[in-house]
Amino acid sequence: MNMKRNAAMLAGTITLFGTILSGCGGGGTVGQPAGQSAGQAAGQSAAAEKNSKPYAGTTLRLVTANHAWTDLIKPKIPEFEQQTGIKVNLESYFEDQLTQKLTVEFTSGSSSVDVFMMRPLQEGKMFIQNGWVGEMTKKDDPDWDFKDFTNASTGSLIQGGKLYGVPIVTEREILYYRKDILEKNNIPVPKTLDELKQAAAKLNDPNNGFYGFVARGQRAAAVTQFSSFLYGMGGDFMKDGKATIDTPEAVSAFKTYGELLKSYGPPGVLNMSWPQAIGIFGQGKAAFYTDADSLYPNLLDPQKSSVGDKTGFALFPAGSKGQTPYNVTSWSLAIQAKSKNQAAAWEFVKWATSKQAMTALQGKGIPGPRQSVWNTDEGKKSFPPELVNVISKSNELGKAYDRPILINVGEARDVIGSVIVTAISGEDVEKAAKQANQQFQAIIDKEKK
Amino acid sequence: MKTERVWTERLLFLLVIAITLIFLFPFIWMLLASFKTQAQILSNQSIFVFQPTGENYATVFRDYNYTRFIFNSLLVAFLSTLFGLVLGLPASYAIAKYKQNGLAFSILIARVIPGISFMIPWYIIFSKIGLVDTYLSLILAHMLVGLPFIIWVMISFYENLPHELEESARVDGCTIQGAFFRILLPLSVPGIVTASILAFIFSWNNFMFALVLSGEKTKTLPIAVYSFLSYSNINWGALMAAAVVITLPILVITLILQRYVVSGITVGAVKG
Repeated sequence: MNMKRNAAMLAGTITLFGTILSGCGGGGTVGQPAGQSAGQAAGQSAAAEKNSKPYAGTTLRLVTANHAWTDLIKPKIPEFEQQTGIKVNLESYFEDQLTQKLTVEFTSGSSSVDVFMMRPLQEGKMFIQNGWVGEMTKKDDPDWDFKDFTNASTGSLIQGGKLYGVPIVTEREILYYRKDILEKNNIPVPKTLDELKQAAAKLNDPNNGFYGFVARGQRAAAVTQFSSFLYGMGGDFMKDGKATIDTPEAVSAFKTYGELLKSYGPPGVLNMSWPQAIGIFGQGKAAFYTDADSLYPNLLDPQKSSVGDKTGFALFPAGSKGQTPYNVTSWSLAIQAKSKNQAAAWEFVKWATSKQAMTALQGKGIPGPRQSVWNTDEGKKSFPPELVNVISKSNELGKAYDRPILINVGEARDVIGSVIVTAISGEDVEKAAKQANQQFQAIIDKEKK
Repeated sequence: MKTERVWTERLLFLLVIAITLIFLFPFIWMLLASFKTQAQILSNQSIFVFQPTGENYATVFRDYNYTRFIFNSLLVAFLSTLFGLVLGLPASYAIAKYKQNGLAFSILIARVIPGISFMIPWYIIFSKIGLVDTYLSLILAHMLVGLPFIIWVMISFYENLPHELEESARVDGCTIQGAFFRILLPLSVPGIVTASILAFIFSWNNFMFALVLSGEKTKTLPIAVYSFLSYSNINWGALMAAAVVITLPILVITLILQRYVVSGITVGAVKG
């Protein structure tokens, strides 16, 4: 009985539905094409949306250093988020802590970091060898134009033919000098290290608190700024896996650097890294200063320096074997190998290192790695014209590293730095160089195993 | 004879002032520098005469949103100290009462092991359970150092309270717990204050744990202060202003509670 009633109800329901359906069909014939096309259009635009924003909804974790680059890219990120629908969470740390934090996170096998800033010459080799850095497979994208990056800038990021990061900030060693003082004393801008030494000797006036030359004297910090002296004298840190810091070329480079700072430098130079050295020059207490070109805004800002309009920029002087300043990539963007958002991460890197973005950043004073940007007015506008010339020339001459490329860069820098300290203190450089060379060789050998 | 003593006293007074000045100099320099521009800080003209500017403090609070970091630091320091006390006070009492020296030493091991060796295991555990960049992970991490500290300060404190007090309470019908809460806890306030301040300061200044376990949301002051150091630029003025901001609360708390700290530290110095 129960079943019968159910069957009756079912039949009734079907009849009811049938009526509704037929009624609908009758009324809908006219409207059908319109409805269909509207549906199609909606589908198409959704597809288009999906094509232009394939990664919408992805969240990227971007870990950066405290750097002018970070400050400038930050306000632009919403643009990228709007274009792609990718959300970017940015964190930034002081460089040493950045390395520390990334090392802990990578060691623990965490995949939460997607894109990070890396110093190719400092932690790059360790990160890459540990397999933490993802390979950039799409470097032949024509819109992005990889060939536009100078060779020197990508040199430190290519290992075994594979690209492990994209340069974002480059740096060269240059000679800063005091235009007014040189003019007053009728001294031309030094073109060689010998001329630099003579000029520094002439201008050195310690009794009145004025010094001929200032540069970094602190053990490890000085090594990078010493490298251009070393190359200029025909030396290098290592060659074919052999330490070469006790060669006659290297010894003469140590002596030159040491003598400049010992005889014509300010007191306390052994404790100086760039903030102290640039402080001395910025206070108008030194005639010459050699350091990275990326520091120039510190000298032009009247809040920080009293020599803004008196500072000249020159190509790093030639040594006995030619003019070879370093020309390095100080910072690059890399993708973590374990990141789960590889494609979206690449999308971000491509956007941040595009010609457009780099032109905008360089227009605000970040010396970038793209040759085409250096050729535009926008790319040059925030740099003093003299400096643009120096940078362009250095780009042609420079060496792509300013410290030995090793995993234990810090240790090697301490060893090499100890010879610089010996030279500045005026002690036996040959002996110190021999000793340091052995220690340095031990570091190299350890890494080969 | 009398004049001689007066002179010795004066000399001693001068000496005290001289030593105080030497100790205070870095602090004074920091305070002054926080009101100077970059150029004034680097200049070698007079340290004391300059046109003060409030710009550095504006940078710290307006551009870098320090109120948030202060809140983070306060929260983490306060809660890690509080939980440290909740667990540490009964523990130290039990250790003192039943002479559980082995237990006390095993707790001390947590402080003997260098903190950095915890970093990677912690990060793995905390990231697996999704606690990285939360207050909870920071509070737990800071308790690792705060808790043993509280326990060790309090053990010696409880050992020196006459146990007749507890016995009388028991005779009058108190439970052990009751005796602890009603009699011993109120008596140990100076020790608690000392231990709490030191645990609080530890957490407030802790850098290493916070570096790895905190993120953008939970960044604490010691990490945030590095915002003013960057690759090719150091904002000394703002750095000093931030340093003053970090030091001030601790200074105020310590000055207010100083009486207790001293009495807490000397407790047990003379047994009798």
